[in-house]
Amino acid sequence: MQTFKRLLLLCCLLAPVWLFAQVSVSGTIVDNGNLPIQGASIKIRNSNAGTSSDANGKFSLSLPPKGGTLEISYIGYKSQSIAVTNSLSDLVVKMQEDVGHLEEIVVTGLATSAKRSNSAHAVGTVSAKQLVGTTSQPTVDGALYGKFPGANISTNSGAPGGGISIKLRGVTSLVGNSQPLFIVDGVYYDNSSIQSGTNFISKAAGQGSTNFQDNPSNRVADLDPEDIDRIEILKGASTAAIYGARAAAGVVIITTKKGKSGKPKIEIGHSIGQQMQLNKLGQRSWDTAKVLAAYKASGLAIYNANGGKTYNYEDELYGNKGLLTNTRLSLSGGNENTSYYAGVTYRDDEGIVKGTGYRKSSFRLNLDQKVTKFLDMSMNANYVESSADRGYFNNDNTSTTLGVAYVSTPSWINLYPDANGNYPNNPLVPSNFIQTRDLMTNNEKVNRILLGGKATFKIIKSDKHNLNLIALGGIDNYTLKTTAIFPAILQFQKAGNGTNGALIYGTTVANNTNLSALAVYDFKPSDELSFTTQAGLNTFKVDLNTVVNTATQLIGTQTNIDQAGALQADQTKTFSRDKGFFAQEEINWQDKIIATVGIRGDKSSRNGDADKLYYYPKASLAFNILPFVEIKPFSLLKIRGAYGESGNFAPFGAVYTSLVPINFNGTTGSIVDLTRGSANLKPERQKELELGFDAGILNNRVNLELTWYKKDVEDLILKVVTTGSSGFTNDWKNVAAIQNKGVEIGLNVVPVITKEWRWNMQFNWWKNKSKVTRLDVPAFNVGAFGASLGTYRIERGKSATQLVGVGDSTDKVDPTSKLAVFGNAEPDFNLAFGNNVTWKNFELSVLMHWKKGGDNINLTTLLSDLSATSFDYDKKGVDPSGQLANGPYRLKVFGATARPFVQDASYFRVREIGISYTLPGKWFKDIARIKVGFSGRNLINVFDYPSYDPEVSNFGTDAISSNVEVTPFPSAKSYYFNISATF
Amino acid sequence: MNQYKLYRLLLLLTLGYTGCKVDPILDPNNPSTNGIVQNASIGELQNMVVGAEAGMRNNLNNYYDGVSVIGREYYRFSTSDPRLTGDLLGKGSATLDNNTFYTTNPFNARYRVVKNLNILITALQNTKATITDGQRKASIAYAKTVKAHELLMVFNQQYENGIRIDVDDPDKLGPFLSKDESLNAIQNLLNEAYLDLKGNDVEFPFSTVLYSKKALEFLKFNRALAARVAVYRKDWTLALTALNESFFDLNGSLTNGVYYLFSTQGGDLLNPVFFPQDTPPAEARLVQPGFITDAEAGDTRLSKASKRTAAGTQDGLTSDYDFWVYKTNVASIPIIRNEELILIYAEAKVQTNSIPDAIVAINRIRTAASLPPYAGSITQTAIINEILKQRRYSLFGEGQRWIDMRRYDKLSELPIDRAGDDVWKQFPRPATEQ
Repeated sequence: MQTFKRLLLLCCLLAPVWLFAQVSVSGTIVDNGNLPIQGASIKIRNSNAGTSSDANGKFSLSLPPKGGTLEISYIGYKSQSIAVTNSLSDLVVKMQEDVGHLEEIVVTGLATSAKRSNSAHAVGTVSAKQLVGTTSQPTVDGALYGKFPGANISTNSGAPGGGISIKLRGVTSLVGNSQPLFIVDGVYYDNSSIQSGTNFISKAAGQGSTNFQDNPSNRVADLDPEDIDRIEILKGASTAAIYGARAAAGVVIITTKKGKSGKPKIEIGHSIGQQMQLNKLGQRSWDTAKVLAAYKASGLAIYNANGGKTYNYEDELYGNKGLLTNTRLSLSGGNENTSYYAGVTYRDDEGIVKGTGYRKSSFRLNLDQKVTKFLDMSMNANYVESSADRGYFNNDNTSTTLGVAYVSTPSWINLYPDANGNYPNNPLVPSNFIQTRDLMTNNEKVNRILLGGKATFKIIKSDKHNLNLIALGGIDNYTLKTTAIFPAILQFQKAGNGTNGALIYGTTVANNTNLSALAVYDFKPSDELSFTTQAGLNTFKVDLNTVVNTATQLIGTQTNIDQAGALQADQTKTFSRDKGFFAQEEINWQDKIIATVGIRGDKSSRNGDADKLYYYPKASLAFNILPFVEIKPFSLLKIRGAYGESGNFAPFGAVYTSLVPINFNGTTGSIVDLTRGSANLKPERQKELELGFDAGILNNRVNLELTWYKKDVEDLILKVVTTGSSGFTNDWKNVAAIQNKGVEIGLNVVPVITKEWRWNMQFNWWKNKSKVTRLDVPAFNVGAFGASLGTYRIERGKSATQLVGVGDSTDKVDPTSKLAVFGNAEPDFNLAFGNNVTWKNFELSVLMHWKKGGDNINLTTLLSDLSATSFDYDKKGVDPSGQLANGPYRLKVFGATARPFVQDASYFRVREIGISYTLPGKWFKDIARIKVGFSGRNLINVFDYPSYDPEVSNFGTDAISSNVEVTPFPSAKSYYFNISATF
Repeated sequence: MNQYKLYRLLLLLTLGYTGCKVDPILDPNNPSTNGIVQNASIGELQNMVVGAEAGMRNNLNNYYDGVSVIGREYYRFSTSDPRLTGDLLGKGSATLDNNTFYTTNPFNARYRVVKNLNILITALQNTKATITDGQRKASIAYAKTVKAHELLMVFNQQYENGIRIDVDDPDKLGPFLSKDESLNAIQNLLNEAYLDLKGNDVEFPFSTVLYSKKALEFLKFNRALAARVAVYRKDWTLALTALNESFFDLNGSLTNGVYYLFSTQGGDLLNPVFFPQDTPPAEARLVQPGFITDAEAGDTRLSKASKRTAAGTQDGLTSDYDFWVYKTNVASIPIIRNEELILIYAEAKVQTNSIPDAIVAINRIRTAASLPPYAGSITQTAIINEILKQRRYSLFGEGQRWIDMRRYDKLSELPIDRAGDDVWKQFPRPATEQ
């Protein structure tokens, strides 16, 4: 007994020594070229303990006395496991580059992910380096094109502050939402495009098209690209089914940067650059004969009175060299329990039109905390403030937008103000565009707060069983203020020409919340087999409230809405409540066969029957061949297949038949809405089958990803033009189905990889073809201004993006519809070719993009012709007989055929180019890493398209009707000088 | 916890979920049609009336531009929409499109008002608000009268295509009637309303800008419209009896009548066919030169055209004169007025062989325009031509010329400005109606 007590005492005394007697490991993490890797993660398997390597690649870590297994990982490198039983002080871990990105983690469920080599899906991924590594980017969506296969991304115009439409794998809706769902760190991120109300002046939605064309930006522009660590793109229902009823247009999952344990890392960056008009068209040259022909004697009198002087209005209007600056500071770090990341960005871009520009300040704080052994928490907070002056462009019916007024004014009209600052009236057009540009305001201001939180409870943690409960949610809250000021002094406002000035002030308050609770259970009965089960619930609430006040009959130059003779208010509220559940089972057998089945059920107040549950199933299978048979020289051979369904709601309000207010004679009345609601509307449903084949050769230095998909979108909702004699102009119906088929090829090659040289090439090739497979209403024209100008036409058995119009004897005119097909907005194919070459401390990145085919309806040319101002008015080439010059020819055939207005919008462009040099570390005593560089966006462009830029959309992000051009804000190209320092 | 327990947990979660109900959200932005149809308050009846009267003005620019350009009264220059000088004038091989704004906008806008009035009629039948039976009857008659006017506007553009009269149920629309049946139906609608108004000495339970809220006064507007429809139907006797009960007054003010009103108030419409004088030709209405050259010297109605400081030219068309019927952007547009009624009177009299009465009426108009009394030949044809001419100048730009020439089969007499231009007889039936 006594002995025992002594032993016990000894034990107690020795206990602290045991603590000290644990195994300690220190070492260096290096890459293939023995250069240190900073920020690599070193973790002990089955434990929370871990650290990361410092700027010199060094780390040290303590293990329990019995030792353990270190798991070392770093993005872009293959993970390594090292068993340690004794203390080591000079461990050197040489990381092998993951040239084929097969270790990259891609999403498989709401809370699960897998190595790309095990994924059954073609998930598009874009890393921070790909996103902003080459050049500075104003918006996230604008930075994605060409970086993964399967998307058509189009910049709607060159107006500063964004306005970009993303379509994943073809047309997925006709009137519903066609833009992917954005999810940022688990928070549903609102991407609305909210019209500013300038239609009140432009009357663009008056005749021909009822759609607004105010050229708004879309709200994903508020996200700072520099904060992003990784983007995953779920392109169709086969992958997006887990997001259910809102996922038919795809899902873009954005993960922002996190801190890593280790000493604080500070990054400071600054870019300064300039942007200029991407493609100058020039102006028509004039002489007295031309003036007389186009403007008769009255025009000639003006021309002669001014001595035949002409003005370079293209340079005046679009020739501003906009200064671009972007300043960036981030701080990150942490220890084994806490990590933090803070980022601040200030961007100030001046537009190519005087008075336009974009300013954005973004603040982000991401915190991760291990609270207890069984509870991890993380929080993301983001505040953004931005201001965009967007000018006044696009279609109108009043000849007042800068774009329309510019093309309607021959260059011999003097529009410059006199010495007293008085602008002359434009004698030929209702608007003096220089006056409009100088005096009007069209601004969007955003204040946005995004808060996300996640708590992970580790209920069970053992070798075989692992159960986590995860609660996840977020708030997305913003206020958008649109301010349009048209002072009473403007030509089209004064002297009875307009409303004696107009103020259009809009305020949108968005308040969206989402909340999920889920359980993830991993079960490993043996080393060969694992099951991952997950199930959960999800709610999503949208509350969007827009108020637009339009004040007219202004008092002097006052800009308060109470300083006006008349005031009109419009309010639009959008409310919805979604509730859903999902469950998914994944089975992995030895990384050879990976199978998944899952289901999601969703209810929403957006449906005609709010309480009805709609189900969206999914299933997938990946099969790795090489473990079964060795085939040289392959290092990976995988076949995969996936099927899934997802949904899309009718546009908000489609279930209601309402009486809308109308003002008259000082009182208010009710009138039937133009659109008849339908309470029986079902959500649109997409069914996608995806089959693919992945191969890696030469230790994955050549990597091929080939995907074929077939995507059927059923129960498509249409605002059907109804028999007008019913009193309604439109009607909502589930009347159509569209099939998209496509092929996507991604090829990654690392031709050179030596100590000093490294060359990485990425080819992405993709094509999509659509076909309308069901249409219960007669074929109809949609998405533009009518058949004589070229229009989209939804017709059974034809492509959903065909462009048709009236035709003459030289066109193949369909005898029943009396229309001829002139083109298709869908490109024949896209090819993006990215190169990244590093040599010692130099790095060169080039992203080239070739869009082959895909037509636009270009009405800028026609509007210019009508005023005889087209730059190519006197050139020849459009008339097939070669007799008439372009302008007269287009005018002659206008009305008889839409052929000249549907134009090939193919292009080749160098989207991004960047060259940088990292200054030798020893200059700064290895404290700082300083990088300098030059970069550019869209610096090289090759296209035949006779306008500013083939990438354009008058109707913004509308589902059908992109690829229409009406005097847009011209696109810009830009270059930057960059400097960054990392401490 | 083993797998079995987990599945139990999942089951519980799922069961818990099914208790999660999603309640429908009512339209947060607007009142619903159903509520009004079932039991409208007096305020809601008023709202529907204001809605209809406001809606009557929608797309009038497209209507007047359509009929006036085809009727060669004025040109509508528009660089932003060249079809107004192309399709409407039949330039080259251009024809009228059955699926674009100039065809569908006025058509749909009128039927939208008809829909509003049909809802109003049902609401009037069902309302439990305190209105007398006389008021109920008179109010329905009001709705029918306005409806007849809207249908007539559709008919004017559709003509031989005929129109639908029964459009109460959007899922079961009535048939297209023939041209004559359509006009008869419009006439009947006016007559039904007339019978309900006649002797019914009440006020509508709502206010109106159309003539008067007294049923007996409003009847005069009903009869004025009835006279116009009767003339279109060549029912000269009915035209004359209708005129008797209308506000027709041979010696009264020519401008007495019923008008579309406009204002600068927030949300209200401005006169949609107004442009200031000397607007740049990019967006303008210019008088077809024949209006000036065909005029008799000294006709004061030429003030409806205003000489420009510089001629306006577009698309091969040129004119020196602005369309200047409306002098301000809030000027009212006539729906029907005494000047037309006097000319209807003249026409009905000629057609019933009361030539002297007709000449009295013609001279009333000529004198008002500072012209000497009629001195032409006293044949029916000559006097009809004289009436058509007076109608051209008196009702210039009011949407009458094309219809007048059409009903006398004289469209071929309208001037052609460019070789290859066409004069259309009617607009095509909208694509969605076929």
